[in-house]
Parts: sequence; C-alpha cells; structure tokens
Amino acid sequence: MNTQQHIDGLFSAYEETAALLDFKEELKSNLDDRIGSLMKKGLTETAAFAKAIEELGNISVLADEISQKKRQEVFEHMYMKVSHYMTPKRVALYVLCGLVLGFGVVAALLSWFYSGDINSPLGTLLVFGTLALAGFLFLGLTQETAANEAMSWKRALWYTAAFAVFLFGLIVFVMTYFYFSAGSDPRRLPEAVATLIPFILPSLALGAFLLLTEKDRSKPWVVAQRNEFRQRELERFANPVQAERFGLVCGALWIAALAAFILLTITVGIKFSWLAFAAAIVAQLLVQANFASGKR
Amino acid sequence: MEPKLSSDLLRGHTETIVLAILLHTDRYGFEIYNTILERTNEQYELKETTLYSSYKRLEKDGCITSYWGDETQGARRKYYHITDKGRALYRQNRLDWQFTQTILSDLLKEEI
Repeated sequence: MNTQQHIDGLFSAYEETAALLDFKEELKSNLDDRIGSLMKKGLTETAAFAKAIEELGNISVLADEISQKKRQEVFEHMYMKVSHYMTPKRVALYVLCGLVLGFGVVAALLSWFYSGDINSPLGTLLVFGTLALAGFLFLGLTQETAANEAMSWKRALWYTAAFAVFLFGLIVFVMTYFYFSAGSDPRRLPEAVATLIPFILPSLALGAFLLLTEKDRSKPWVVAQRNEFRQRELERFANPVQAERFGLVCGALWIAALAAFILLTITVGIKFSWLAFAAAIVAQLLVQANFASGKR
Repeated sequence: MEPKLSSDLLRGHTETIVLAILLHTDRYGFEIYNTILERTNEQYELKETTLYSSYKRLEKDGCITSYWGDETQGARRKYYHITDKGRALYRQNRLDWQFTQTILSDLLKEEI
C-alpha cells in the first residue's frame, strides 16, 4: 500500500493550500516511520499499514481547520459558474436547438436562392426557426444559474407555447401579406391583419398573464444583496444633510454650465459652446459617483 | 479487578504531555507519538489526529515552534521546539494538575 496515495485520497476534497501541502508531507513521513516501526515488531506490511491508518483517527476535522478558507473560495467560485449547473443532457439539448436553427437558416437561404419567392424561406423559418427558438426559451427558463432558480417546467412550457404561437403568428402575418400582394389582387393588408386574431392576440394575452403573475426566482443571496444595496441607497439619500449638499452641488454645477454655455456662445460660437453641457453631464456623473461611494 | 487507563482523562492533558516530551529535546511527530505509547505501555488509545490538533494549537499560541529537519536521506521530518512561553505553560499546568490530583484523591476517598 502506498501512503502517499492514501493521504492524497484523504484530502482529495480539499484545495491544496501551502499549509495543507506542508501538513501532508509531515503526515506522510510520520506515517511511514510508524509503519516501519510496526513492521519491526513483526507485523506484515498490510497489517502495519492498516494499524497506522487506524491510529491516525478522523483527519477531516483537522483538514477543515487547515484548509477551510480556501475551500470556501473554491465553493463560491464553483457555484458562480453557469457550467456548474449544466448537465450533459441540457448541453445536448442546447446544441440540438442550435443545429435546428442553423439548419433552418441555411435551408431558408437555399430555398430563397432557388425559388426567388420570399414566402418559401419564410415557410422554412416558420417550422425550424420557431421550433429552435422556442426550444432555447424553454431551456433558458428552466436553467438554474448562480443568481436564479430554475422555473418549473410546466410554467416554462406555457411561456414557450405563448412565444411559439406569437412567432408563428408573426411569420404567418408576413407571409399572408406577401402572398396576397404577389398576385395583383388589391386586397393585401386586411387578410394579413385578420391572421392576428387566432395567433398573435391569444399569445400576447397569455404572455401578459404569465409576466404579470411571475414570481421572483432570485436566489437568497441575490435577494439579500439587493436589499442591502437598497438599504445603503436609502441611508445615503434619506439623510437630509447629504441630500441638501447633493442638491446644492448639482444646482451650482448646472448654473455654472449654463453661464459657460452663454459665455462661450458669445465668444466662440454655438459650434463649441455646447461642450459646456457635455462637460456638465460628465461632472454630474462624477458628483453622483462621489456621493454614492463615500459614507460621510 | 484489573485497573484500566482512562484515555478520556489523559486526552484532556494532551498539550501538557506534548510540552513535557519537548522539554529537553526537539522532536518530530512520530517520536512524540512513540514516546507516549512507550510510557503508557501502549495502553493509551491515542489518535494521532489529536496530537496534530494540539501541535497546531500550541504553535498558534506561541508555545512551540516548528521547523523542517535537513535529513540527508529519506523524507524530511518536521520538528517541534518548545518556547519559553511553552515552558511556563507546562509548569503552570503541572502545578494545576498536582493540586487537582490531591483534591480528586481526597474526593474519591472512602468514607471512614
């Protein structure tokens, strides 16, 4: 049995800090010495190894002490990345949607080149484009990220349906318009508008309903951060002294800008005098940043 | 009845035991562990993790320092060295124990 291998196994869950590497080296030399001394007493190598490991006890408490801080950082780093929330199945589905979309675009272009009719590429997109984009929407909504929880797949399906019908209706609207205008028939817009009734209107209604009843899917840490930010803003601008000072500075700034503008218009003309306002906007932003940063 | 060693009681004194072993020479982990085993006739079920924890604690408190030995062959060994603060702690703990011991003996005495 290899002690190095065993020790590496014990600490595989921990980030290799300098302190941990140091400790592992110490552990290994002591463990090897102990195994050696047990073998001198007549134990076999396997038995000596097993006994030495048994004597070691539970190492995880100690490893936590040595490596905890680093592990915390690793934890945060890991969970902030979207790739952490990607399963192979989801990746495959994203790629599949991309392929369908790509195929749709290429097929639409080809059909346009060969037919010359605007409606044939639109018809291709009607099928493949709608399918692929709806797929992306569904995947996006049910995707858990560092900041958001995933939407339930049932609700996401409603959204997807509304979106797909809307897109379908949009393309049908354009196609109908072109179909009737291609022939020399004078009626074209009314038919196109009529297609809005079965597709666009219901999907908009459904979409509006869904958006209005939407719940906040932010993760607890995002909510906490948002509240903290709001609280800080409140403290900063609810303070009357601070607010007064901010008002005075801004007032002075814009009066100065106006004066500069008038003066410059008279002396060098309107061509350059407007720069006074541009400068004032920059100064305003700087003042705002200054007030927002320092707590005074 | 055979007397048994109370490992729990000993464990409470791990730091003082380590300091006692380091009083005269610097030693490394295996030596310290071995010394304890020999002196207790291998009756003390001491886990090495307990020792490592106390090294860390003692080092943090400035009672011991550590350094890597310059072994010419084989693995490097980490030695521990007792500081003056460590010696003071050892003396205090030893006094405390002697005092506690007399009181405990008295408390455990059979009523006559």
